[in-house]
Amino acid sequence: MCIFKSFKVYTINLESRYLLIQGVPAVGAMKELVARFALYGAIEQYNALDEYPAEDFTEVYLIKFMNLQSARTAKRKMDEQSFFGGLLHVCYAPEFETVEETRKKLQERKAYIARTTKNKDHYMTQKKLVTEHKNTKNFRQDFHSETSGFCAAAVNTSTGNSDPCFPYSCELPLCYFSSKCTCSSGEHVDRASNSSQDGRNHDETGEHCNHKDSLQKMQIKTLKNSVACPGAQKAITPSEAVDRFMPRTTQLQERKRRRQDDRKLGTFFETSTSSNEVVIGPLLPDIPKVDMHDDSLNTTADLIRKKLKEVISSVPEPPEDKLEDMHTSHSVKQRRRI
Amino acid sequence: MAQKPKVDPHVGRLGYLQALVTEFQETESEDAKEQVLANLANFAYDPSNYQYLRQLQVLDLFLDSLSEENETLVEFAIGGLCNLCSDKANKEHILQTGGVPLIINCLSSPNEETVLSAVTTIMYLSSPGSGSHPELTAMPVVQCMLRFSLSANTRLRNLAQIFLEDFCSPSQVAEARSWRAHSALGIPLPKTEAPQQP
Repeated sequence: MCIFKSFKVYTINLESRYLLIQGVPAVGAMKELVARFALYGAIEQYNALDEYPAEDFTEVYLIKFMNLQSARTAKRKMDEQSFFGGLLHVCYAPEFETVEETRKKLQERKAYIARTTKNKDHYMTQKKLVTEHKNTKNFRQDFHSETSGFCAAAVNTSTGNSDPCFPYSCELPLCYFSSKCTCSSGEHVDRASNSSQDGRNHDETGEHCNHKDSLQKMQIKTLKNSVACPGAQKAITPSEAVDRFMPRTTQLQERKRRRQDDRKLGTFFETSTSSNEVVIGPLLPDIPKVDMHDDSLNTTADLIRKKLKEVISSVPEPPEDKLEDMHTSHSVKQRRRI
Repeated sequence: MAQKPKVDPHVGRLGYLQALVTEFQETESEDAKEQVLANLANFAYDPSNYQYLRQLQVLDLFLDSLSEENETLVEFAIGGLCNLCSDKANKEHILQTGGVPLIINCLSSPNEETVLSAVTTIMYLSSPGSGSHPELTAMPVVQCMLRFSLSANTRLRNLAQIFLEDFCSPSQVAEARSWRAHSALGIPLPKTEAPQQP
């Protein structure tokens, strides 16, 4: 039977750029505290709240982040973390907002939703273009078969889904399906698939479940975190997948074209061997020849250069059918693929 | 839950949400209902879920739950609505299915979070300036917001102030103010009839 009576619904009203941090050991570690929180984003201001009720030997701080996203992440990461021997309790503090700050917060939320919905429409258009350009190159097909789950999903759904946290949709804990659920996996969505993690959360928060303190409510926050990490693309969406490959093809072709141009030009390259070399893969930049203005130094430099070339082109000769260009029939030095 | 390879992640999520909805409808445990509703309300925060939530009629589920006697369910339901109502399609649905009176009702709740969510929802459903839906800036609502703007509760005060400044015309506010001067304090937000004693 589910023993957790307090659940929480996160709305934009609850969230805030202001974070309240309780349980900070009174050891004069304000700077360290702020530095720790600053890992999650720029902090606009911070101060101790001397009048705020605090347990003995602890202090309460208020930290205001520059943006809501940083505050969200900081709260998620720093809540229940140990600090100088104490356990921090971090929560949002929207009551410290000014009217203007609240107004902006609501507007940004609205804008975010409008943007996300628009992106989904855009994503759908992109996806259609991409599937039309599908070619038959092996490596592309391989990639597509890997992501076929996502591709199929993208093709089958009527509206696109640009949610970056696709994997989590399949990793939500089974326990949700029963009324016996006791987990708070929402707070740790990136470990949501780990049932032992859920079990651990259960144990941790089990002590708190009867706590009347409203600040220690168990929180169920599910895929909200996908909102929380817009930049952290944890799954490759089909459009991204193809985008990644398209430039590469172009580059190979570009290099091929360049090599052909270079071969036509011929003598622009310093060593005699280079004109007979068949190049496979990306060209290393040619070592610029420097005249040392001294014969012995030049000899040494040439020796070194030659050695470098040998080392670089130490690839065994590949089968003939894989060579892109064959000007000469005698053995050619291959450049190693990078 | 083991990750099945080749499973369409959309089906995964949809199936999951469907399971939640089913549980909500079938369970007899109030605790389970609360938990499920909290889950759904939190899912409603993420726009990528909106198509599923609409498909599963979760919006209607939220609206229906506003009439529940269990105040926690009301709080979670209005929270869910608050989370998703600024999306255009969701907004249309709520407006068209007569959700506005139910939401306005929540302004009378003794539960702080319920009231806050209701105020925010009303703002997201309104368009600034001209009344997209006149009920949202009807006299009782504006009066209520005037009262809230004097509240000791900072969050409520801020939200009410934004509502009055951004979503009401000065004349509406002035009218509401003059009304208040003549009406007794402590009267709960009237439904449609004459004010009743609480």
